[in-house]
Amino acid sequence: MKGIKGRGDRIFLAVCYTVLALLAAVIIFPVLNLIAVSVSAQTPVVSGRVRFWPVGFQTDAYRYVMQSRQFFNSLLVSLFVTFAGSFLAVACSVLVAYPLSKKNIPGRKTLLLVFIFTMMFSGGIIPSYLLIMKMKMINSVWSLILPQLVNVYNLLIVKNYMETLPEALEESAKMDGAGQLRILWSIVLPMAKPVLATVFMFFVVSYWNSYFDAKMYITKRELMPIQQYLQAVIFEAQSPAGDYGLASEATNLASQSIINATVVCAMTPMLLLYPALQKFFAKGTTVGAVKG
Amino acid sequence: MEKKKRMTWGQMKREGYLELYLMMVPVLIVLFIFKYIPMNGILIAFEDFNIFDGIFGSRFVGFENFARMFADHDFLRALGNTFTINLYKMCYYIPLPIILALLMNEVGKRFGSCIQTVVYLPHFLSWVIVGGIFVNMLSVNGGLVNEMIKSLGGSPIRFLYDSKYFIHVLAFSAMWKEVGWGSIVYLGAIGAIDQEIYEAARVDGASRLQQMFRITVPNLTPTIVLMTLMSLSNILGNSFEQVLIMYNPAVYDVGDVINTYVYRIGVNNMQYGYASAVGLFNGLVGFLFLTVSNALCRKFLDRSIW
Repeated sequence: MKGIKGRGDRIFLAVCYTVLALLAAVIIFPVLNLIAVSVSAQTPVVSGRVRFWPVGFQTDAYRYVMQSRQFFNSLLVSLFVTFAGSFLAVACSVLVAYPLSKKNIPGRKTLLLVFIFTMMFSGGIIPSYLLIMKMKMINSVWSLILPQLVNVYNLLIVKNYMETLPEALEESAKMDGAGQLRILWSIVLPMAKPVLATVFMFFVVSYWNSYFDAKMYITKRELMPIQQYLQAVIFEAQSPAGDYGLASEATNLASQSIINATVVCAMTPMLLLYPALQKFFAKGTTVGAVKG
Repeated sequence: MEKKKRMTWGQMKREGYLELYLMMVPVLIVLFIFKYIPMNGILIAFEDFNIFDGIFGSRFVGFENFARMFADHDFLRALGNTFTINLYKMCYYIPLPIILALLMNEVGKRFGSCIQTVVYLPHFLSWVIVGGIFVNMLSVNGGLVNEMIKSLGGSPIRFLYDSKYFIHVLAFSAMWKEVGWGSIVYLGAIGAIDQEIYEAARVDGASRLQQMFRITVPNLTPTIVLMTLMSLSNILGNSFEQVLIMYNPAVYDVGDVINTYVYRIGVNNMQYGYASAVGLFNGLVGFLFLTVSNALCRKFLDRSIW
């Protein structure tokens, strides 16, 4: 501790605490308001009386969202893309990170450059779109998985971590005649678990939150992932049940309540993961400071 | 070095290198297909591209697409907006996370980690969800912000549909989402400062405020420069998804950025050649910014971005 001396320090600290508390309030209040509106009755919502606590409590908005087939479809698509994508992506990261973590492998520099170059320059949106079209992957979930499969940033994190692992075990396994695949699987991967978990989380967040690929490649409603569905509900006044037009004259709910309930449902998975995420991400920033 | 290059097949096999190369092949194929093939945009940009004739059958038009670009009012507007929006955002995004980190460094551990839990959270929410949160706050039918304006005697503002306010909504929501996350790198740098310096300063009777400005801030300078250069290097690519989700035709004049423009003329209007040209321009300028930033980093900080 840096100690507190005199009145000046005390005032200074009081200012620090106050500013931070205010900032936390600015961040948390919009979320509280979102939730409060989602469980409040129509009249208080429309007349703007709902602050951070529900007024005229109801849960019909959630029932309404839960009854929507479209919502569950989107949830399933997103879950599939997120988990299939993250597993494959981690596998890809490992398959490159391990060879490139060998300092003496010929061509290492060139191969690294081939990967890093794609971080610096890309062909742009349209050529990627034309490619997916040409490959007949429009309206296929694979168009949401494959283009993001190789992530150079994550790959470098895994590579850097593997470089710090002791080589003695690998060497002795090699003496015993184990192949590289075997060494990778039974010696390197178990040691690399922390970094693999971290990178897996990175991929989960990025697949779950990704929006633009679906906006380009998915036009069929039953294949929309959750973010795209949500965008339609929030910004295009599509009713959560899946029909266009205003939400619900029949349900006695403010349409804002239904929209908010949909948003809350879509952010719940991230909120549930958040404790684990915070741990992993904090570690991730220390585990592999990226450097080629 | 020389010896490594002349390694024989036998040696490569004995060292297990062949197996290692084979491991990389599937990933290299994926990389080639999804990252390198789209670089054919460099060709498409010079063509009057249509899908049926393909890249090698479409009519070659030279620099026509580029000439059109610089006469295109909508493109120039998008170019200007991209710079304006991102520079405006940087006015917040550079200083605020630094201030946040400095404050968090002063408060107690328990309180600090509570604050961290709160301020990191929005980073994990998607732009769509952040958009939803702000639509709810800014709604004219009972949204919290407009209720406050009304109770102060003002008239409600349609923030998301008003060119005067849209850029502020973009900057504020981006800040709301990322300020906490942005502070992590500075907290890390603060953690690496030698504690004995503070001790010595305290013995000399320095106040907390003096310690912050005389010790912490100077030690953060390299990190601040690095982060500034990194944001500059990405000045064309930033904000795309956020704008795409939050904008609407009413605010195109201030909100349309290069990538949203490319998306509209390409995917919606199917002007593939022209859209690729704009995209290529964007990619090349982005590449230039990145290279220059990196060179500056190397020169002044002895570090590189990649």
